Amino acid sequence: MNAIEISGLSKTFKGKRFTRVEALKNLSLTVGQGEIFGFLGPNGAGKSTTIKTLMGLIEPSAGSACIMGIDISSPKARRRVGYLPENPAFYDYLSAEEYLAFVGTTFGLDPELLAKRSEEVLKQLELWEARKRPMRSYSKGMVQRVGLGQVLIHDPDVCILDEPMSGLDPVGRALVKEIMLDLKKRGKCVFFSTHIIADVESVCDRVGIILKGELQSVERVEDIMTRGVVGYYLTLRDSGGGTTELYVPKDELSGALASVRDQGGEVTLIEPRRKSLEDFFLDIIKGRNG
Amino acid sequence: MFDIVRITVKGIFRDRVFHGILMAALLLPLIPSISQLSMRQVTELSVTLSLSLISFILLLLAVFLGGTSLWKDMERRYTFSVLSLPITRTTYLLGRFFGVALFLLITAAVLGFVASVVVTIVAGNFPPDRPVVWNNIYLCVLFDAFKYILLLAVAVLFSTVSTSFFLPIFGTISAFLVGSASQQVYDYVHSSSGQVLSPLVRQAATALYYVLPNFSAFDLKVNAIYGVPLSTGGIVLTVCYLVVYAAVLLSVAAIIFSKREMK
Ligand SMILES: Nc1ncnc2c1ncn2[C@@H]1O[C@H](COP(=O)(O)OP(=O)(O)O)[C@@H](O)[C@H]1O
Ligand SMILES: [Mg+2]
Repeated sequence: MNAIEISGLSKTFKGKRFTRVEALKNLSLTVGQGEIFGFLGPNGAGKSTTIKTLMGLIEPSAGSACIMGIDISSPKARRRVGYLPENPAFYDYLSAEEYLAFVGTTFGLDPELLAKRSEEVLKQLELWEARKRPMRSYSKGMVQRVGLGQVLIHDPDVCILDEPMSGLDPVGRALVKEIMLDLKKRGKCVFFSTHIIADVESVCDRVGIILKGELQSVERVEDIMTRGVVGYYLTLRDSGGGTTELYVPKDELSGALASVRDQGGEVTLIEPRRKSLEDFFLDIIKGRNG
Repeated sequence: MFDIVRITVKGIFRDRVFHGILMAALLLPLIPSISQLSMRQVTELSVTLSLSLISFILLLLAVFLGGTSLWKDMERRYTFSVLSLPITRTTYLLGRFFGVALFLLITAAVLGFVASVVVTIVAGNFPPDRPVVWNNIYLCVLFDAFKYILLLAVAVLFSTVSTSFFLPIFGTISAFLVGSASQQVYDYVHSSSGQVLSPLVRQAATALYYVLPNFSAFDLKVNAIYGVPLSTGGIVLTVCYLVVYAAVLLSVAAIIFSKREMK
């Protein structure tokens, strides 16, 4: 069973005075269990629209989707999901501890397990000291971490995170990446949206690129990396013992190696020069716009 | 749903609006001295003042807490984090409603108790002609709470359709004013002096009377102040009216809220 299955999902917003925004056009996508999927696109591409539809917050105009095999039209589809909204906000009169207790109860955790999970999560997210303070006194980063607490408290199989790194400092970002990798290690699915390419490069198995409501391409990050090799840096030791560096384009590698050997030199290091994910992303955006 | 009721009540207790409105309850202990200004029927006056003050406080609470509860959740974007939990929208709406309703009952009980102390003190100093009928006073407070629970259902309904603070608050207040007057209008229209009105107006008034909530049915002040006996039938009927009317309002609210997009 796939963790997330989206087929033909579309969403058209009806605005004021009969304007219509096609925020999402015929999106089909599957994400497996134990996979980290990055949903990459510039602002306004339709990432949040996709995620809100998955979470039952907005109704799709067409198409359907399942989470762990359950259709999203049923609240049951959300049982095994942890969701982090974009720029989340929580009942500000509750403390983080009270809020997580509320969330855990709605997921049906029994009080003993809930208390244990709550302590683990609050400590992991470094909210333990502040756990009894009302959330209205929290900084933006702390609120974001409460959101991650809501995601993790019931140990879900699928985590859907809308811009999880936004509003976090470098330490916070590293923490989120660490959490995502840990979830993957435990066989969970992580689906997250971002407009920052570096986030995708460092943790994702696959990346989907969305632009103006249309999915442009879905790739394994590994594949982009290998396919993206455009040439090699060779480090050579010549017969005299000196080292030189040499750049050879991708197709000329074997010829270059042969000629080095002929001249009695030695290749000590070969480093691929890759087109980065960023170049790949920008190519797609330019390709579609130009 | 119980968890939502609980956080709702918790939220109200920590809310500034609630603290402000409760300041009004501090007027209750002043009632003995104010009542003494009247030379006659001091006890009756103290009962009237206490019941009116309680009623007013409950009205404010129902309008502000009911009119803002769902609307505020959407406005402050709490709905994204909460409605994505595995609960239905209907559960959430009912949790919010019963939370505020429970709170109105608690407030009515506390204020009713304070009022009974006040009235006991006054009655001790100025023995009334008729003995105070405590049961009627308690029932009057209870039915006041019921009245505002019905108003709360109106407020929740307004809250689900609105995108601003305006409609829920002013809509609820208007519904309350109209719903409180509808009995009088109905009685007038059907009295002999009402016959001068055109049949169309009379029919419209009659239709409105049946459609709009009738809040005056919940008013037991006369029975409480003058010890007029209550009819059991009337009380049962009023409770049934509350249950049916509130159920209809909440069903409509639940349907609207379930279809509403959280954007
Ligand atoms: N409630 C709405 N009404 C009208 N248009 C909307 C609404 N929400 C989003 N949009 C439009 O849909 C598009 C996609 O938005 P969104 O999914 O939030 O983008 P992203 O999360 O990728 O930045 C944007 O063009 C946005 O203006
Ligand atoms: Mg977004």
